[in-house]
Amino acid sequence: MNWYEIWAELWPTLIAIGIILAVVPVVGLYATFVERKLAAAVQDRLGPNRVGPFGLFQAIADGIKIFLKEQIIPSHVHTFIYMLAPCISLMTAMFALAVLPYGPTPVNYFGGLRFIVMPGLDISLLIMFAISSLSAYGIILGGWASNNKYSLYGAIRSCAQFISYEIPMGLSVIGVILVAGSMNIETIVASQGSGDGISGWNLWWQPLALIIFFTSALAETNRLPFDLPECEQELVGGFHTEYGGIKFVLFFLAEYTHVVTVSFLTTLLFFGGWHFPGVPSEVTASYGILALQMLVLLVKVCGVVCFIMLLRWALPRFRFDQLMGLAWKGLIPLAMLNLVFLAVFESLGWHRWPLAVLSVLLFVAAGYWSAWQSQSFVRKASVT
Amino acid sequence: MSTAETPVAQVEKKQKKKTVQWGDDPKIGFVEALYLPAIAGGIATALKHAFFKKRSTAQYPEQKPEMPPNYRGVHRLNRDEEGRVKCVACYMCQTACPANCIEIIAAPAPQDDPKWANRDKFPATFTIDELRCIYCGMCEEACPVDAIELTSIYDLTGMSRQEMIFDKEKLLSVFDETSKAGLDPVRTNRGALGPASEKSMQSTDSPPPPGRGKHG
Amino acid sequence: MSTVFVNDIEVEVGPRDNLIQAARAAGVEIPHYCWHEALSVVASCRMCLVEVGEKKPDGTIAMGPKLVPACQTPAKPGTVVKTETAKVKTGQQMTLEFLLLNHPLDCSICDQAGECYLQDYTYKFGKAQSRLNEPKVQRLDKYHIGEQIALFTDRCVMCTRCVRFTREISGTAELQVVARGSVEEIDVFPNKPCNNKLAGNVVDLCPVGALCSKDFLYKKRVWWLKSQKSVCAGCSTGCSIEVDQNEDHVYRLRPRANPLAQGHFMCDEGRFGFKYVQSTNRLSGPTSKSIATVGVAASAVTKFNGNVAGKLFQPADLAVVDHWPAAIQEAREKIKAAVDSSASSFAAVFSPMMSVEEAYLLASYLKGLNRNVKLLMGPVPVVGEDDCYPKNVNGSAPTAEKTKFTIRAEKCPNRLGVEKVLKHFQGALVPIEDAIQGAHGIQAWYFVGGYATPDDSIGWVSPSIAKATEPAKLLIVQDIFPSVLSKRADIVFAGAAFTERDGTFINHSGLAQAFRAATRPPQASRADGRILNELCLRQGLYNTEFLRKEIASKIPSLESLSVGDLGVHGVELHQLVGAHL
Ligand code: SF4
Ligand code: SF4
Ligand code: SF4
Ligand code: SF4
Ligand code: FES
Repeated sequence: MNWYEIWAELWPTLIAIGIILAVVPVVGLYATFVERKLAAAVQDRLGPNRVGPFGLFQAIADGIKIFLKEQIIPSHVHTFIYMLAPCISLMTAMFALAVLPYGPTPVNYFGGLRFIVMPGLDISLLIMFAISSLSAYGIILGGWASNNKYSLYGAIRSCAQFISYEIPMGLSVIGVILVAGSMNIETIVASQGSGDGISGWNLWWQPLALIIFFTSALAETNRLPFDLPECEQELVGGFHTEYGGIKFVLFFLAEYTHVVTVSFLTTLLFFGGWHFPGVPSEVTASYGILALQMLVLLVKVCGVVCFIMLLRWALPRFRFDQLMGLAWKGLIPLAMLNLVFLAVFESLGWHRWPLAVLSVLLFVAAGYWSAWQSQSFVRKASVT
Repeated sequence: MSTAETPVAQVEKKQKKKTVQWGDDPKIGFVEALYLPAIAGGIATALKHAFFKKRSTAQYPEQKPEMPPNYRGVHRLNRDEEGRVKCVACYMCQTACPANCIEIIAAPAPQDDPKWANRDKFPATFTIDELRCIYCGMCEEACPVDAIELTSIYDLTGMSRQEMIFDKEKLLSVFDETSKAGLDPVRTNRGALGPASEKSMQSTDSPPPPGRGKHG
Repeated sequence: MSTVFVNDIEVEVGPRDNLIQAARAAGVEIPHYCWHEALSVVASCRMCLVEVGEKKPDGTIAMGPKLVPACQTPAKPGTVVKTETAKVKTGQQMTLEFLLLNHPLDCSICDQAGECYLQDYTYKFGKAQSRLNEPKVQRLDKYHIGEQIALFTDRCVMCTRCVRFTREISGTAELQVVARGSVEEIDVFPNKPCNNKLAGNVVDLCPVGALCSKDFLYKKRVWWLKSQKSVCAGCSTGCSIEVDQNEDHVYRLRPRANPLAQGHFMCDEGRFGFKYVQSTNRLSGPTSKSIATVGVAASAVTKFNGNVAGKLFQPADLAVVDHWPAAIQEAREKIKAAVDSSASSFAAVFSPMMSVEEAYLLASYLKGLNRNVKLLMGPVPVVGEDDCYPKNVNGSAPTAEKTKFTIRAEKCPNRLGVEKVLKHFQGALVPIEDAIQGAHGIQAWYFVGGYATPDDSIGWVSPSIAKATEPAKLLIVQDIFPSVLSKRADIVFAGAAFTERDGTFINHSGLAQAFRAATRPPQASRADGRILNELCLRQGLYNTEFLRKEIASKIPSLESLSVGDLGVHGVELHQLVGAHL
């Protein structure tokens, strides 16, 4: 590989990185804006509407305000780690974006045009998981360095939560990998293509995996109903109690970046990525079609983001034991069973449609079992 | 019934009463155990509010709220019919104030001023720290002559702490403003007032009080 | 002694007690206005009406048919008093309704509110409603009734306590009842205001807010005043008083009944003469010629003025450097050096304003350094002659046995106490004026002042003292006001006035009374006991009870102080050790 080739590969990468670096904060800021507007709508309010038309500049005003805030470093913190923690948080969150395709990339990406920082990586999904588990460090270190018991509680909770929910998440994704036969996200998306643009989505034969994945992903992002590491009523602010100004914003951005990542993953893995009825499936060099496919992807992602935000106002927060119980007693066994069924089907080469029915049956059986458990527990408790 | 119970049963009952009462976990039925219906319900509620309910936001500076007439806002010091400060400097409000934010300095009313002829004592200064005040209305409850009142002015702002300390003139000007604007608190004139601030209870046609003018 | 039954409670009472006192002994309150322990009985207010009966030897009780005034009924053996029957209660209600007929009820502006017997009795014994429909009789206030007192005529309940006081205690008889019936009122003769030297007492005597002190008028509502039992430092009578204070500002002094000291009253000189303690001229902290001392921030002066607008909101005085340790240390070293070089040329001058404890601390310390140190008695202020009351019709003093109150010429509270201490430590009492005759050879001085000389630039220092101390090598002054000496002194200790100190005063008759600090000394000044305690390097805090016991064990003539706590009335020295007086 000569210098020219290296450069030819490097400059699109640099541009892609640059775009991500530039876009992420803006997306983060506007995600807060959207979230506030959405929250306001759900709560019969108007939301921010003073700065700019429809309050559109509110996000910018907030950004400026937060940058101009006084930087307070409490005297009791471990300064170095305290400063490092938000950086780690955001950094890992952004790393995960490196393997996400934002649109279909032509096979010959050396031509320059592409929508991914690390194209053609065969283990991109694995990398994604490897990196995103690192983000737990940001929170744990932040909570620990704050030298504040609430922060530490938040950090410990988040630690336990991360460890627990990585398992069902991984298990549910293995199903998708099995179906596609690859850990390359681009390949996984491509495998969901079909003539009609919709019947190939993994969603159809992996509904249970989708639920498990999405639930675990929510827990990984610390979003409601799983935001126990920062729940205000119990822990003041959780791991970010001692953080303010720009340092807090880094944590915040990381959270929103995670939301975006999770939405992308959900879309790419289960909702067919850029496949949609009426949109050509094949990756062509036609810019118009590329743009259309990208638009489809982004719309789907936005839909998922909005759904996550909506969930926040639809569900109450879990209790910590419920949270743990859900992972260990509910999601993990279900994900395992689901995986076994899938593996059997795949290895025997059967048609996948029955899997959907099996998923539903599994889910119903789990619900029934859980209800029976709870009933019998209550019964037992009332006898004694 | 209790007489029919054996002593042992009674003892047991007593002991049972003493033990900790645990709240039962709610019974979870099949549908609840599935979670999804509940989640769907939650989302449906959220969406219903998002799309079909009227927004209740009031656009504040343009759209002023209607204050209930018994709202307790900024204080005012009332004037009597002759325009003097109605307060007789009895210190009742200062005594009653739980926030300790009223400070009065009393003085004998100006003896040579005919305007003050029928008053003995008046507040030389009257200061309220509106920032320290908790707007409880105790002062107004305590005042025997209905001199201090809380108006429905709620938007009290200032650029410094000093300007939030209202003196007598400022408090009187609040009275002038609110009474001109017809914003008298509902509590105004809730009953007959004490003789210390009102016109004397004496009817004009009765003979002058004996003793007056002899040595006065 | 006779046995009386009050509401079925059996009590022993003295032969001269009336039924109010008997009831008091039984813990029963009989409301009363006109009766006062120190005044004659007139039974005019009818507030004390009770049912009275007699317990026959055979045990039967015969109650009288009508209500009788308790103040006028002597407590004979076997008397039965009932204060809670319906008859008595109705009587009380009707009396109060009657007293309130023309009462203006301007409690909101009345200085008495909070300590008014009309309020209290109406609350306890009265009824809520008046049946009067006619307009109330209104009368004009009489500010001219006295220099120190004002009469709010329509608040008067015509108990005539004030009138009887001017007749029986002061003997000056300025106050009179004029007119009769519903228009009767208290007044003075034209151009003969009530200005005698005991006039302030009528304010305390007045059970309602009719007579008010002009000095205290509208200054503070009484429920904010905190009282401390103390002793007046105005003269050697040593009247027991209450010091009423709020936020370190003394608002008034009130006499405290003490049969051992002065009785029930106090003179106006003492009552209003305490103002010097809050003079702005006070020494504000320790100063020394050799250490650069900085006065306390001027804002602290506002503390004296008490009622300064916005005081509530002023920031607290900023912390200032405490110069006391350095000043005391320096004084101690200089005293030691001076005594070591020549003990007999070191003299300490004790003031009769000092407490026994302070005199003891200083004397024992100096004599402990060297027996030859001179202890001198400072100037004892004497003004005119003892002023005895009640005056005769021609204004002259009464005979000794008829005297009810004496304002003494000796204008200091503790000459006797300080003298006893000095006599003990030195054998003989040497007044300073004697010591500075001719070539006295004294090189080093420790002066204690504390006299009430707020406006005087020379202070209490006589020219001869000023001259005698001019060549001094060391001059230490402990005082409350600047004087020629303090201006010249090497070290000045800012001490405290009597309302700011704890200690013992021994009055003219040898009654040792405790006075207690009601307020804190202004700015950086300190209670003298505390200064001396530190100067003498004594362990622990300055504690009067502990010191009194120590003094009693060391000084035989002060043995009575061994009780430590002198109680509210004090302890008479000659009771125990009369021989030493
Ligand atoms: S409203 Fe309450 S807190 Fe405010 S001044 Fe009146 S009594 Fe004080
Ligand atoms: S209670 Fe009323 S009359 Fe009394 S001081 Fe306060 S405002 Fe004045
Ligand atoms: S004398 Fe007593 S009752 Fe009368 S106005 Fe004064 S406080 Fe009120
Ligand atoms: S002025 Fe006071 S003391 Fe004198 S008669 Fe009237 S109520 Fe009694
Ligand atoms: S106290 Fe007895 S009549 Fe007045």
